[in-house]
Amino acid sequence: MKRRKFIQLCGSAGLGLAMPISVPLYADGENAKNESTGYEGPYYVVFNASGGWDTTYLMDPKGINEINRLYQEGDILTQGTLHYAPNAAHIETGMSNEDFFKKYGHELLVLNGLDYSVNNHSPCSRYMATGKLDSLAYPTFAALVAACKGADAPLAFLTFGQYSATGNLVPMARVPYLNSLSKLANADALHGNARSPYHDSFVVDRIEEALNQQNKSRKSQVRLPRVQRSQSMLYAAQINSKALQRVTPYIPKTTPKQRLSQQADIALASFKAGVCVSANLSIGQFDSHNNNDPDQMKLLPEFLAGIDYLMTKAEELKIREKLVVVIQSEMGRTPKYNKGNGKDHWSIGSIMFMGTGIQGNRVVGATDDKLFQIPINPATLKTDSENGIRVRPEHIHTALRELAQIDDHDFSLQFPFVIPEEEHLARLFSGA
Amino acid sequence: MIVCLRQILSAKSLLFTLFLSNWLFVFPLLAADNTENQDTDDKHAQSSHRGPNCFIVDNYFADEVWAKVGERTCLKCHNENGDASDSEFILQATTGKEQDQKISLEKNRQLFHQMATALNDEKSRLLLKATGKLDHGGSEVVKIDSSSYRILEQYFNRASGKLPAATADNQQPRTPLFADTEKMSPRRLLRRVTLSLAARLPTEDEYTSIDLADGPKSLDRVLDQVMQEDAFYDRLREGFNDIFLTQGYDGNAEIVLSYDHFNKTRLWYQKHDLSPIPEKDQQKARYKLAGDYRASIRREPLKLIEHIVRNDHPFTELVTADYIMVSPYSARGYGIYEKLKDQFKDANDPHEYIPTKLPALKARNGKTQKSETGFYPHSGMLSMFQYLRRYPTTETNRNRLRSRMYYQHFLGVDIMQLAPRVADAAAVDAKFDNPTMQAPGCVVCHTTLDPIAGLFQDYDKDGYLGPRKEGWYTDMFGSGFEGEDLPDQQQWRSLQWLGQRTANDPRFATAMVEHVYYILFGRKVLLPPEDIDDPMFNSKRRAYLEQRSLISQVAQQFKQNDFNLKVAFKKLIASDLYQIDGLALASQDPSRLTELDDLGLVRLLTPEQLERKIEAVFGKQWGRLIGRESKLHILYGGIDSKSVTERALDPSGAMGAIQRMMSNDVACHNVALDFTRDPSQRLLFPKIEIDVIPAASPEADQKIQQAVVHLHKIILGRDHSIDHPEVIRTHQLFADIVKDAKAAEGIDKRGSYSCDRVNDVRLDDPDYTLRAWRGVVTYLLRQHDFLYE
Repeated sequence: MKRRKFIQLCGSAGLGLAMPISVPLYADGENAKNESTGYEGPYYVVFNASGGWDTTYLMDPKGINEINRLYQEGDILTQGTLHYAPNAAHIETGMSNEDFFKKYGHELLVLNGLDYSVNNHSPCSRYMATGKLDSLAYPTFAALVAACKGADAPLAFLTFGQYSATGNLVPMARVPYLNSLSKLANADALHGNARSPYHDSFVVDRIEEALNQQNKSRKSQVRLPRVQRSQSMLYAAQINSKALQRVTPYIPKTTPKQRLSQQADIALASFKAGVCVSANLSIGQFDSHNNNDPDQMKLLPEFLAGIDYLMTKAEELKIREKLVVVIQSEMGRTPKYNKGNGKDHWSIGSIMFMGTGIQGNRVVGATDDKLFQIPINPATLKTDSENGIRVRPEHIHTALRELAQIDDHDFSLQFPFVIPEEEHLARLFSGA
Repeated sequence: MIVCLRQILSAKSLLFTLFLSNWLFVFPLLAADNTENQDTDDKHAQSSHRGPNCFIVDNYFADEVWAKVGERTCLKCHNENGDASDSEFILQATTGKEQDQKISLEKNRQLFHQMATALNDEKSRLLLKATGKLDHGGSEVVKIDSSSYRILEQYFNRASGKLPAATADNQQPRTPLFADTEKMSPRRLLRRVTLSLAARLPTEDEYTSIDLADGPKSLDRVLDQVMQEDAFYDRLREGFNDIFLTQGYDGNAEIVLSYDHFNKTRLWYQKHDLSPIPEKDQQKARYKLAGDYRASIRREPLKLIEHIVRNDHPFTELVTADYIMVSPYSARGYGIYEKLKDQFKDANDPHEYIPTKLPALKARNGKTQKSETGFYPHSGMLSMFQYLRRYPTTETNRNRLRSRMYYQHFLGVDIMQLAPRVADAAAVDAKFDNPTMQAPGCVVCHTTLDPIAGLFQDYDKDGYLGPRKEGWYTDMFGSGFEGEDLPDQQQWRSLQWLGQRTANDPRFATAMVEHVYYILFGRKVLLPPEDIDDPMFNSKRRAYLEQRSLISQVAQQFKQNDFNLKVAFKKLIASDLYQIDGLALASQDPSRLTELDDLGLVRLLTPEQLERKIEAVFGKQWGRLIGRESKLHILYGGIDSKSVTERALDPSGAMGAIQRMMSNDVACHNVALDFTRDPSQRLLFPKIEIDVIPAASPEADQKIQQAVVHLHKIILGRDHSIDHPEVIRTHQLFADIVKDAKAAEGIDKRGSYSCDRVNDVRLDDPDYTLRAWRGVVTYLLRQHDFLYE
């Protein structure tokens, strides 16, 4: 049986890493990358507005039919080809839409009219994160790309919340405090102080060698798949952890107060150190069933400020051009206010992208005056109410996999999307 | 809008019923006088069959027709109580005892055969019906271009002789799922159990008892003892918090007591008389008082679980208990301390709990909660303020989150797990004034979900007793449970009414066994495979059914033993699934690997478990993975019960670094210390001193080997022989370190200042053996055997 076929079978079996040991799964010392550089990009960041954002107050403005109380249709602003809702007059902190679109409009790809298909947090979060509504086994895009591109990086997939399933492909790493990384960076020294090693260096070498020999000897042993998988992962985790030393120089001396900025700092330091491939950043409380406008006017600017923080810091670290940024929420909000001045769940929404390989200053798809999706022609990306398709998360994820050039990777093949070829949004990111 | 809840619920219930037991599909070879309707498969089987009273396997019908189409599609309506119960095509669930399953499967096969070979215009009635023709009551249930259709078509071709019928391969009996697997030794099992449930190593008596080999009885006796120990209840509470997450409700703990009902008592600690304490210490004492009070009230739901299990009460009390657990501190918060104080053994112990009933709550306006008993209508966890606050609601959510969590926690149904899509959910929302009561796609679900939500109507968004002033919503289905309306006179005790029905629901026992499975295995039970195009579908189904069979059997035993949860622990521990530890024969067959994929406990220890294991082995915890100030707890995959609610199952690089840090540090703190103890008191090195040098003599090497064997036993739980490859490897590590040290220049003849100093005395280490043993212990602490369960 050919290796690829075998892996496909394993994948469809949900075996994940439970593959024959001849298939390298994690770096096991021999496969470890040059520790002086590590993973060099692209770096993938998924921003999640957890709880369901109001797209009509951001990239899909309406101002009609009493959809928005804070502005009218005539107040809608434009930046290049993008339309957005004005909000500078209604926010106290964070980044206004005006500032955000002015600064990033030329880089932004907006897709309006995304059909989440359902409107409950849990399935929607899963669907948006993985592209698969009806399976708990699929990995998130962030986890998948981490597994495909750099599973031997010690913090390959960083997550700060929201749906974070890994498909058994790569461990998820949670790093709540950046400073804690500095202590881990020198795990073989007392209190992380390199001048106080626990052991003489030759002892450490002997220990590592013994573990290496043990790991090799196990490859000829008959083991349960779970045992095999977990021993492989454990060994890789310990070996790869040494690369955390590279993070230390990039740990900022001060910690920002904003939630997303804190997460961004951890992600950026890890990217720059080559120990991370993807990060899932998230802030919550968007679920504005009560008092929609005050909540969204508080959270959207905070969210945009977090994106701006990441991009700005990435520029300083000279990795901005290596970023691929996905900006999303698990659902939208109704085109009407409820009795509590809130807005409830809505199964049509939007998503934004920017970064390497993404042609900005573009809008794909649309919603109508009542915030219903208008189908699009997948080839031309133009709206086509008659013959177009309803764009759903699996279309987005298929395109993302192609953008990341992992669509043909063994791991991706384990978790396929069944989309007719003619529905592929081949030009989504390039525009050409 | 919740889409298709009823379908999910009914499908899950049905699947649960269908998959209740065995996976072995065989059918009896019928007697010759009963072959009128038999197809070519049967004839082929007969012709090749030489003996009576045995069974011929028809894997094609069992694995393809039945498993992928019949059971999943046809049986939903074509059963004796289903929508198609008046048709002649009445199928049977392949459940129950093995023999019953065989009979049911064969009856189903005969029906399928008859239907497949009956023709209308030369087309199979089976295919026509399935695709909605011939006035099929269920319309089109199989699309022509689908895998299901191809399976039925293939079956028709085989049944009608257009294709070769059963082949030898098709009739091969399956390898038993547990073939070539190995169970762990009784001694290792004993260690696993005592560490997992009681945070300790087995005693010598327990080892002896197991060695005497009266098998399961010995294990049962040990478990009986273990389940009386306090450590077991710590583990039990921790495990159930992983499920219910009640420790994670928002705000200071006392906030669960509403201002309206407890405004005079809930902040009692602020005015508590601390005059016996010197004034300079009073502020600190008050902080402690508040902290203890908060911890005590937050812990009440988990203490209820402990109380039920510790006292062998039926675990149905989880939803029916007409009491809560209070401590002297939390009782003050409720304002009932004076009534109870004589019942406490130690009124100053914030964590001594006793059961009690709250009187009906009295609001600030003087109005007392309606109650025919005079008491608050307790119904176990369901009516606890902590639980209700942990799962809050909103004006638009209308307790649907509580309803969802109710199904998940107490009936084992995760409504949101596999939400089906609708063509255009937004359009449905807009088309109907009230989709949840009008849109067919919504109604089927909300008719089940919303009545439960209604039963929680007396509780507001924060979990306080506080019915809506406007009355409960009339634009949603009324309060009830699965088709039974709540009688008006029961409204004051609606959650008690629900609790009683929950306890009587067969899904309750199964759900509780699944919770115990989660606590023991660290992962949820398998889900049924959904994708019939998956080439591993049958392998996954087989693994799933095997596990389902166990869960079902244990649930039955749990129920038969008056819902004693200890029985669920004991039966699951006694199972093959818990004890399988290895393979005797390698396989490269993906199907077989799929079947084996979930076998074996193989669980990465949580931060709490790892600390307890370190304490069990070394006598004290490492102390850096747990505790309020721990910066490593979340980093090592722990949860905060609030925003981080799922434990990491695999180690990241950060966790790998923590493992290295822990192994270095624990070895640093324990090796030198152990050598300074009297040999009889040593945990790690009872029979060797640091003056024993490798290769100095055969006797010296033997002593070192024995020391290694002891370390493997106590740290890894392995009874390795002296010539075991792993013992040889560890021995070699020790010898190599000593050799390297000897060859190196400038090596200090004393141990390290940081690690090899005891009572401020830096130990001599002239031959580097002390440090080499520390290296060995570090090495062992990094092993899979130590870090995993």
